[in-house]
Amino acid sequence: MARTVSMTPGLASFLRSLKNDPVEASIEHLISLLKRRQIHNSRPCAIATTQLLLQVVAEFKGKDSDILISRVRHVGQKLITAQPREMAVGNIVRRVLALIREVIEGDEVTEGSPISESPSSIQPLSTPREPSHHPGLPSSISTSSPLDHSGAGHPIDSSPHPSESSSEAISSVHRPVLTASHTSYSTAAPLATSLFGLFSRPETPSPASTPRGFQSPRHGDNPPVPIHQLKGLTITDLPKPVPDDFKADVLDGIREILDELDQVDDQIASYALDHIHSNEIILTHSSSTTVQKFLLTAAKKRKFTVLHVESFPNDHKNTRATMVTGRKNQGQAEEEEDVDDRFSPLTAAGITVVLIPDSAVFAIMSRVNKVILATHSVLANGGLLAAAGAHAITKAAKMHQTPVVVLSGVYKLSPVYALDLDELIEYGDPGKVVNYDDGEFVENVDVVNPLYDHVPPDLVDIYITNLGPHAPSYLYRIVQDHYRKEDITI
Amino acid sequence: MSTPDSISDPPKQVPVTAGTPSSQAPKPSTPAESSKLSNAELKKQQKAEKAARRLQKKGDQGPSNGQPTTPAQKAQTKPEKHAKPTQPRNQPAPPTLKPPGKATATRRGSSSVPNVIDSEVKNVALFKHLYSVPRRQRIEGASKDVHPAVVALGLQMSNYRICGSNARCIAMLLAFKEVIESYTTPGGTSLARHLTSHHLSPQIDYLKSCRPLSISMGNAIRYLKELIIKIDPAVPEHDAKATLLDAIDAFISERITVAGTIIAQTASTKIVSGDVVVTYAKSSIVMQTLLTAHRAGTAFRVVVVDSSPLFEGKRLASVLASHGLSVSYSLIAGASHAVTGATKVFLGAHAIMSNGRLYSRVGTAVVAMLAYERDIPVIVCCESVKFTERVALDSIVGNELAPAEELLAAGLSVEGKEGSKGVEDMLKKWRETPGLQALNVLYDVTPADYIKMVVTEFGSLPPSSVPAVLRNLSGNG
Repeated sequence: MARTVSMTPGLASFLRSLKNDPVEASIEHLISLLKRRQIHNSRPCAIATTQLLLQVVAEFKGKDSDILISRVRHVGQKLITAQPREMAVGNIVRRVLALIREVIEGDEVTEGSPISESPSSIQPLSTPREPSHHPGLPSSISTSSPLDHSGAGHPIDSSPHPSESSSEAISSVHRPVLTASHTSYSTAAPLATSLFGLFSRPETPSPASTPRGFQSPRHGDNPPVPIHQLKGLTITDLPKPVPDDFKADVLDGIREILDELDQVDDQIASYALDHIHSNEIILTHSSSTTVQKFLLTAAKKRKFTVLHVESFPNDHKNTRATMVTGRKNQGQAEEEEDVDDRFSPLTAAGITVVLIPDSAVFAIMSRVNKVILATHSVLANGGLLAAAGAHAITKAAKMHQTPVVVLSGVYKLSPVYALDLDELIEYGDPGKVVNYDDGEFVENVDVVNPLYDHVPPDLVDIYITNLGPHAPSYLYRIVQDHYRKEDITI
Repeated sequence: MSTPDSISDPPKQVPVTAGTPSSQAPKPSTPAESSKLSNAELKKQQKAEKAARRLQKKGDQGPSNGQPTTPAQKAQTKPEKHAKPTQPRNQPAPPTLKPPGKATATRRGSSSVPNVIDSEVKNVALFKHLYSVPRRQRIEGASKDVHPAVVALGLQMSNYRICGSNARCIAMLLAFKEVIESYTTPGGTSLARHLTSHHLSPQIDYLKSCRPLSISMGNAIRYLKELIIKIDPAVPEHDAKATLLDAIDAFISERITVAGTIIAQTASTKIVSGDVVVTYAKSSIVMQTLLTAHRAGTAFRVVVVDSSPLFEGKRLASVLASHGLSVSYSLIAGASHAVTGATKVFLGAHAIMSNGRLYSRVGTAVVAMLAYERDIPVIVCCESVKFTERVALDSIVGNELAPAEELLAAGLSVEGKEGSKGVEDMLKKWRETPGLQALNVLYDVTPADYIKMVVTEFGSLPPSSVPAVLRNLSGNG
């Protein structure tokens, strides 16, 4: 699938091929990259997913937002199934879905008569809105773990999805879903905006006619899609009052998410001076660009000492590279070529950085003023997943009454509750713990190498996201602000 | 430190470095210095030599423009002072000691000050009080009084060949037996007066320079010294030596070997079928306990948690596995997973402080904390020889620092692919970057709250009873 030769497959190669490959090929490409862990960690996953969805939406030819929603949802399902533990993928898919819904609703309101009073436009993020979702969806925040999505996602979608190679196949498979969502829309929407429904319905073309904009020039590019849409519309008898430019709005919104992903570190770093005082001893863990930026920003104004826990078997090389050069050395390094200049080691700013092994965490904690951690993903209850060892660090910090600050972009915030923790934890290569050369040992001893730790919410004092600092108990609100209930279970 | 120096360095070094160790240094002709050196002076000198050697090893360019200075001359004259008939047979020949001394001299010229600063830059500020002379890794510069057995032992300790409180203590006592065997009291003094101060203390100093003494070693030495002092001068030397050797054997068996067996017996009864036992790093006595329980037919699983850079737990895990136990192994980063589902935690000790805190391999406190959090009983197996009157509140005031390079190198060498070149590159970059430091402490202090029980040869007690045991011990002995 990888078009770019001569390059190790990863985010960079994927983004390069994304521009040339057809969307379906890109989807398959990303799935294989995720499965092979060639794209891993939250940020690369989030960027890849957003870029892919951007293409998916851009390529989308129809005018029917529900088809777009189910298309995005379907792509999202495939991506999440490919790598359920990379929650950033699911988060981005949910945000794009919420975005599409928002655009549609916003358009409905503006298009509809002035009488129509939609509370959703005023408080777009907190109130329940247009219930155009699958009938079977739970209405509250999902209690299922992300791994269940692979099992739960498909049944909801009513038909199994063999891996299609063309968009036509997808949309045809999707017809039943489409029907369902339309039916639910037709019954529920008038309830919500009954007056609007009364007046607006006659405006729209009759079921038999094609939707407005059907003859748009794009239509010529790929004839089968509109035919399917047409069929779908005829079945549902409900053309939608969505204006031509909803797609443009959605694309803008996705680009905004991309911008956010780009700026998230800087935004988080802008809070640095509020949290770091002079002469502090700060303990951090594993390698993280976000934390590095945060500390660098503070280092411009203040002098402090950083104790860097090396996160031994899995991330120690990156940790050292971060300490020496200010950036990770594997994988991500080449992927972030464009932002090369922004990285400099903390030592260049006159900060003393001390590498300590994971085992010395408790010994040193009594002298640490603050623990600053990066995350893999944040759960809706305020708990988080971070590199293995984080639990011991936060626990030791708790024992010593040392505040724990967690830095996380909102894109890492997942609407998932951690009920079965073991399921969330990924296990890595035991060869990193014990060299495979040591045959007898590997043979007789069960070598375990967990990649992540779950940190319960009570061990975290504050979260700093790109939106600002929050108490762990408040995170559920931010989750609600960014995701729609109907999208929680994809 | 400056480049010109380094360029000018090699030519001057040639006569020294090119020669084999036994070749005479070119400047032995300065015996004018007073040949009497006090111990303090000797120590100072060793310190300086070691500092210089470290520099040399680091590849730092010495100043080299300095003439051989007084310290160098001292170094060369030093061996002459102790020319005593009681010298052990296989004493390393004094000449071998000279070349480093000479090299030291050339390196200790005008720029010794910047060198000191350089090493301090790499010292973690909080732990400055713990940085002392770097560990001896070679035998050069060792006092010629040091017995060959002790010389070898010291090197084995400094490179962790002999590691662990018990192993070091036993090895030291066995080496001391050899020392005592080959000892003859010089005329005009008595064994009780001479042996300790003049013959044993150089050995002890040498061992200290290789690695700080463990608590158990300290206790054993104290015991030995008391024993020697009590010897009646009237007793013939041969008998006195025999008594001492017997007493050392008795100490090893009573306080360590048999005590270990008793503890293993007691502690193994705490393991019941179906248990999942977590242990950290490697403790000989925990190993004995687990094997005893296994032999008794208890079916249980062991989770060995380990950490870089020493990876002691690997040996424990492979020994247990070879005896047929079901063992899983993970590193300290995965400790919270290892502790999940565990039913008991068995820990070894380096020492137990009289305030009930456990002083043990760094990381022990992490495991104990995680177990305490989950209400898993933490059981410490510890012989009374490891009990100490000292108290500790944190792991910073009293601790032992290992060279930071060990930590840096360990991480990179595990996977093997890097090879030594990768390690070298890393270390080089490390040294060149100012402000980068690494901390490699060896021990940490576990709060007494986390410990449910201490199993000793006197029975099982709570950590708060440690002072009582100490009192008992001192009353008895």
